[in-house]
Amino acid sequence: MAVFETLDLTKRYPAVNALDELTISVEPGVVGLVGANGAGKSTLIKLLLGLIEPSAGSASVLGYDVRTQGRELRQFVGYMPEHDCLPLDMNATEFVAHMAQISGLPRSAARERTAEILRHAGLFEERYRAMSGYSTGMRQRAKLAQALVHDPSIVFLDEPTNGLDPAGRDEMLDLIERTGRGMGISILMATHLLGEIERVCDHLIVIDAGQLRHHGPLGGFTGATQTLDVEVTGDAEALAVHLERRGVASVVDGHHVLVSIESEPPFDLIRDTVAELGVGLVRLEQRRHTLEDLFRVQGVPQEVAEGAPEREGAPANV
Amino acid sequence: MSSGPPDARVASPASSQGTRTDGSAGGGSIYDLGYRHYEGVRLGRRHAILALYVESLRGAFGLGRGAAAKIAPFVLIFIALVPAVIQLAIAALIPAEFEFVSGDDYYSGVKYILALYAAAVAPDIVGRDQRNRSLTLYFSRAIGRTDYALGKLAAMTTAMLIITLVPQLILFAGNALSTQDFGAYLAEEWDQVLPILGSALGGSLLIASIGTAIGAQTPQRAFATVGIVVAFLLPLVVAGVMVEIGTDATVYAAFLSPLDLVDGFTWWIFRSTPDEFSTVALAGFDLWAYTLAAVVATVLASGLLVRRYQRVQA
Repeated sequence: MAVFETLDLTKRYPAVNALDELTISVEPGVVGLVGANGAGKSTLIKLLLGLIEPSAGSASVLGYDVRTQGRELRQFVGYMPEHDCLPLDMNATEFVAHMAQISGLPRSAARERTAEILRHAGLFEERYRAMSGYSTGMRQRAKLAQALVHDPSIVFLDEPTNGLDPAGRDEMLDLIERTGRGMGISILMATHLLGEIERVCDHLIVIDAGQLRHHGPLGGFTGATQTLDVEVTGDAEALAVHLERRGVASVVDGHHVLVSIESEPPFDLIRDTVAELGVGLVRLEQRRHTLEDLFRVQGVPQEVAEGAPEREGAPANV
Repeated sequence: MSSGPPDARVASPASSQGTRTDGSAGGGSIYDLGYRHYEGVRLGRRHAILALYVESLRGAFGLGRGAAAKIAPFVLIFIALVPAVIQLAIAALIPAEFEFVSGDDYYSGVKYILALYAAAVAPDIVGRDQRNRSLTLYFSRAIGRTDYALGKLAAMTTAMLIITLVPQLILFAGNALSTQDFGAYLAEEWDQVLPILGSALGGSLLIASIGTAIGAQTPQRAFATVGIVVAFLLPLVVAGVMVEIGTDATVYAAFLSPLDLVDGFTWWIFRSTPDEFSTVALAGFDLWAYTLAAVVATVLASGLLVRRYQRVQA
């Protein structure tokens, strides 16, 4: 069954349609929600959490209607906002245990789960330190811990790697991967960084200007293309000319010769030609689509939509 | 509510069932239990409100926080306790009946401290989550916006009770001790206990509702503090002057001052006579009118608080 479904879900602000008749049904798993700044990612998450009211349409999460059954639903969802939200004068244990109780867990269970989840988030050693002394990475992990402490069935992560350095980003993505696959918690992760999606997600939702552009398994986007990539050291031009003469269409791109393939890849022919010319063969592989290709094809604009109500910090670097 | 949601979990090898890793031949085995899902009860909204109430109250006194957060509330509690403690000391040292302060006059003696205390504590109780931007963490959980507002009001009222009720109980004990016959005083003055409880609860609720309604309007602590002090002390001065002028119209200003309402209400509940120089006495209205006005003010301020949290962006 779907973890969440929307039907013609719409959110209008005076100046802009933040979300425009979005209809989607999403299966359990780790799902990436991609779009430029202001595309409507945060709006969608807030609508699904019941933090804001839709202007039209409906949505359900885990089978609960977000409008009428929000309170029951919110016992089973976790949310990691994009912005700072930690009371820095508290320590992680006090804060996360408190949040567990607000989600309905009894006090003793809240304490137990807090210790477990802080260990999972890699904050066990620092759990009694005031969070004001935490690095950005540690604060992000504390934010994730509070979203997971009550063992939600689905967790919404809004730009979880915002503001992190490359090492911190890596750690956070590892943590998200372990959460999704190791703990079996469905994740909807909003981001504008395609690399992150490719690394942790198995499904992808692309929205642009509040409208659904694409939805499907990540494999579908990154499947093999009809291009064979031949990377060589030495004269790539000569190789291309020789291949053309033997009836294989090819294009030179720096040290790469890109060979179009229609049926069986001409591996033997390429090997023999390379050997004949005496150039070094570095790589011979069938090219795969990248998410960047998708964005180029779809023409998703990368500039911030004017007047959008979302505030998102880091610039798009896709 | 304890039933779980429809199962939407991702199949994962390490969830629910443990995986077994065989050790060396003949040795032990290591069981990796993996991540264990929470199977226990979820107590829902009422539990969440109670947890919010307790944590807000602890936060107001800096419990579970650094030492600096504890200074202001405890200094003010200490100051509020001073008259009561003096009464106790007098009772202990002078073996004669001498009431330094009595229950019905207590609030008019400490009203400035009540206002300062509210101004110190309310911005913490209602402003903290706005400053930290953590409201969104609450509203995405098992707690509604109105629940949140009422939980905060309950916490603030309890915080006020610590400064209103506790000194009164000390006073009562002090006055009892200052008499020759402790038992006789208790028997005679037993009917004071209900008015003490009633005035403390009513006064606390009025001050708490106004303090939180103003404090919740801004995340800025300094603005909230100044706003609350002004809201209590400015009307006190204005009402004093207007009542002093003494025309038929200006005496109604007495109803605009929350701390004068507390005075009038307290004298009403103790069935005693107002201090002759007080604004309440000079204005000359029946004491029940102050009680009614206190109730109206409490309801209005609570409504304003709830409305603020309905509208504030999470």
